[in-house]
Amino acid sequence: MVKIIVNGREIEADPKKPLIKACHDSGVDVPMYCYHPGLEPVGSCRICQVEVKQGEAPGRVMVACRTQPAEGMVVDTESPKAHETRKECLEFLLKNHPLDCPICDKAGECDLQDYTYAEGQAAGRTHEERRELDKRKSLGDTIVLDQERCILCSRCVRFFEEVPKQAQLTVSDLGSRSVIATFMDRPLKGKYQGNIADLCPVGALTLKKFRFQARVWNLVKMASTCGECSRGCSTTVEVLRGADVKRVRPRENEAVNKFWMCDIGRFAFERHNRPGRMEGAALREGAKLVPHPVEEALTRLRDELMREKSAAWILSPWCTIEEGERAKALAARLGHQLCFISPEKNGEQDDLLHTGDPCPNRRGLSDLGIAGFEAAKALEAAKGAKLVVLLGERVVELLGAGEVARLDATRVAVHLVDEFALDVPCVKSVFGAANCVERVGTWANVDGVRGPISAVKAPPIGARSPAKLMDELVRLMPKLQEHAR
Amino acid sequence: MSQNERYLLTRANIEGAHQIAVAEKHGAYAALRKVLKDGVPYSAVIDEVKKSGLRGRGGAGFSTGMKWTFMPDPVKDPRPRYLAVNADESEPGTCKDRVLMERDPHGFVEGVLLSAYAIRAQAAYIYVRGEYRLAHDRVAAAIAEARAKNLVGKNILGSDFSCEVHMHRGGGAYICGEETGLMESLEGKRGHPRPKPPFPAMYGLWGQPTTVNNVETVYNVPFIMERGSAWFAGLGTANSKGNFLCGISGHVNKPGVYEFTFGITAKEILEQHAGGVWKGRGLKAWFPGGSSCALLTGKDVDVVLDHDSLRARGSSLGTAAMVMIDDHTSMARVMEIIARFYDHESCGQCSQCREGTQWLSQIFHRIAQGKGQPDDVATLEALAKGMAPGKTICALSDAAAIPTLSAVRLFKDELLECVRQKRDPLAQPMPQYAVAGGHH
Repeated sequence: MVKIIVNGREIEADPKKPLIKACHDSGVDVPMYCYHPGLEPVGSCRICQVEVKQGEAPGRVMVACRTQPAEGMVVDTESPKAHETRKECLEFLLKNHPLDCPICDKAGECDLQDYTYAEGQAAGRTHEERRELDKRKSLGDTIVLDQERCILCSRCVRFFEEVPKQAQLTVSDLGSRSVIATFMDRPLKGKYQGNIADLCPVGALTLKKFRFQARVWNLVKMASTCGECSRGCSTTVEVLRGADVKRVRPRENEAVNKFWMCDIGRFAFERHNRPGRMEGAALREGAKLVPHPVEEALTRLRDELMREKSAAWILSPWCTIEEGERAKALAARLGHQLCFISPEKNGEQDDLLHTGDPCPNRRGLSDLGIAGFEAAKALEAAKGAKLVVLLGERVVELLGAGEVARLDATRVAVHLVDEFALDVPCVKSVFGAANCVERVGTWANVDGVRGPISAVKAPPIGARSPAKLMDELVRLMPKLQEHAR
Repeated sequence: MSQNERYLLTRANIEGAHQIAVAEKHGAYAALRKVLKDGVPYSAVIDEVKKSGLRGRGGAGFSTGMKWTFMPDPVKDPRPRYLAVNADESEPGTCKDRVLMERDPHGFVEGVLLSAYAIRAQAAYIYVRGEYRLAHDRVAAAIAEARAKNLVGKNILGSDFSCEVHMHRGGGAYICGEETGLMESLEGKRGHPRPKPPFPAMYGLWGQPTTVNNVETVYNVPFIMERGSAWFAGLGTANSKGNFLCGISGHVNKPGVYEFTFGITAKEILEQHAGGVWKGRGLKAWFPGGSSCALLTGKDVDVVLDHDSLRARGSSLGTAAMVMIDDHTSMARVMEIIARFYDHESCGQCSQCREGTQWLSQIFHRIAQGKGQPDDVATLEALAKGMAPGKTICALSDAAAIPTLSAVRLFKDELLECVRQKRDPLAQPMPQYAVAGGHH
């Protein structure tokens, strides 16, 4: 480490990392387009100009992404010379930029927009027509390219070269005629395409699934964790006006996913927006499930749980560590069996992120000592029980609605806590459950790294998280509560 | 030591000198044979070239011997080492290396081998401009002839010096003549210049220590080794040593490539060798060293054509490619052509250069078409200042900005007059050519 002075403040910097990283790490904002902390710096956009003084030599304006910190270096990111150079650079970048911010999905989180505001050059000096290029060039199933907005930072090109290590994009042609292209206009392939839309500092690369879906300033964003495999990539879940999840993006986490996530996880949010969700609770009355006050349904469930010794709990693999702890304690006190559904590997494994194990909290639940069984085996193990509690989101989906229906309704009573109701004879009660964007908790990934899930939006009325449901059950069991103390 | 001593074009002017028998009869490979036979240490070659004061002939004019010393010590750093020879001569106005490669390829190959010897390079790569087919073929034939006589390849002339010489033809991009763009292109990639540092001597071709030298530069080396650094240093002016090739073109009676000793004035070259400005016209402006140098006016033609004198006049020697412009010529039209060239050739990496070269080209085009706007000349100046100096990865942006700034400085009134009159008063009907795949 070396000591450098940035804007009058002494900071420690790694001489092997570019100066811009040292600035960012110490909270100093330096604009960037081509630089990205997850990619090799190329120094081509020239926006990260800062004034650097070394020794007695007069200060020189240089790009912070291609400058190595050296002992005693004095850096001024706000000097008039640095601002002047950045302002010039912005003018060039805006020369052919279409300025269609009002219809651009990137507006509001666009680096070009932000730095242009920051440098405050409102008037343009061009008399020329702007470059006219393809404004909606499809690059496959995931991405659309707007060649006019592109500022040729080449982050997307380098992403495919450096991260999945499978080059797919290139800069084609020369100079002001340069465009981003795939070889022979072939569509992009692989499951990491979505990352280039995050990387794009302007609105040139957009996700087909996010185009014209929301203005980004209307999105509520919260830190969460992806539940599509045991990697548990850190994410940000973005919800429009408390209703639908519109976008999930990777959140920087050096220990897990760096800056990236796969498209399977990225687009899995669509199931959170499915209509027909279960509200409150329902109890079986003869042939039908009939809505009942949750208190009443809970009391009935408590009574049955306390009466029936031959009972099995089957947890969803999406259950959090906190939910696992509660279920374990409850099952132990009541003398019930407990397992979680352990889905089979799904063949999506790759060298980058996806583990192929669609069980986001396997490590967390296993570490609690809860056994994991494949769906068929979990049901098989529950066959001897008189009462089965299916707990957590997607539990019916994983077990198979048909399989659950085949349970003998005269012998087995099923109590279901899921996002959706399942109206088959064996199901005696149903509680609406909050899914992983509607409740809080913690998952532990394949390496034991814990990641949070957040309640970005409210669950349907009366629906609750499995943790809350179990807490309520415990409150309704006075003896057990005392015993637990 | 006469100022009239000639050596660069001596063999080139002999009929058939591209064949090894003729070339050897006239002294080709003598210096290489001497160095290898005497076992001259490679460091002694570097010292000799350093003492001679030879400066690179590719435009930047950096001391060749000094550049060679930047290569790491082969004992401490045993990585493979390369010499890359820049024969991608494509600056508007410059056409000197072509003469050497076409007329005396053996002298050139000898220069390549001696330079490779000095820096201990296992291999030399000659990057020839794609359009130079004859030059390429002549040099390739020369390498084959030299190889047959054990002058190229393993254990040259029985010594422990081995050097392969490879040829590569460019694809027609000016930017591949920038040394790091050249290396990228040689590696099979797009000719995008690399940010420096790291410099080629530490991280060059395929990441190995590499020196990039110009054709005329290496061509000088055998003469220095044969006749001694003192002979070379005795030619020329204080900081510009030896003879140089000067390609004079434009509105002169006898355009061509001439050999001069540093110290000659541009006026002498123009009037005594190139036959003066054509059609009896006056000299309005001229580029002293290719289109990337600042323009000078006709009055500056008394300048001595060397590094220091031209810098004192606010320009530079570049590749000593003088482009003369007569007083009937529209400067808006000249700059339109120059700016279009840089727009066409910018690699497009750096924002300033990619957008700036296009912008300059569009403005000059408008002015030349009589469609200039009142603020255009001021914008040209502001843009050029935003593009240079040293604001981009390579010097192409500077190369577009420098002539622009000089044109705005020297011919502001003429440009403004085009804007004011809404026509170019000096416009001449241009010959119409059918251009295949034209740009714009």
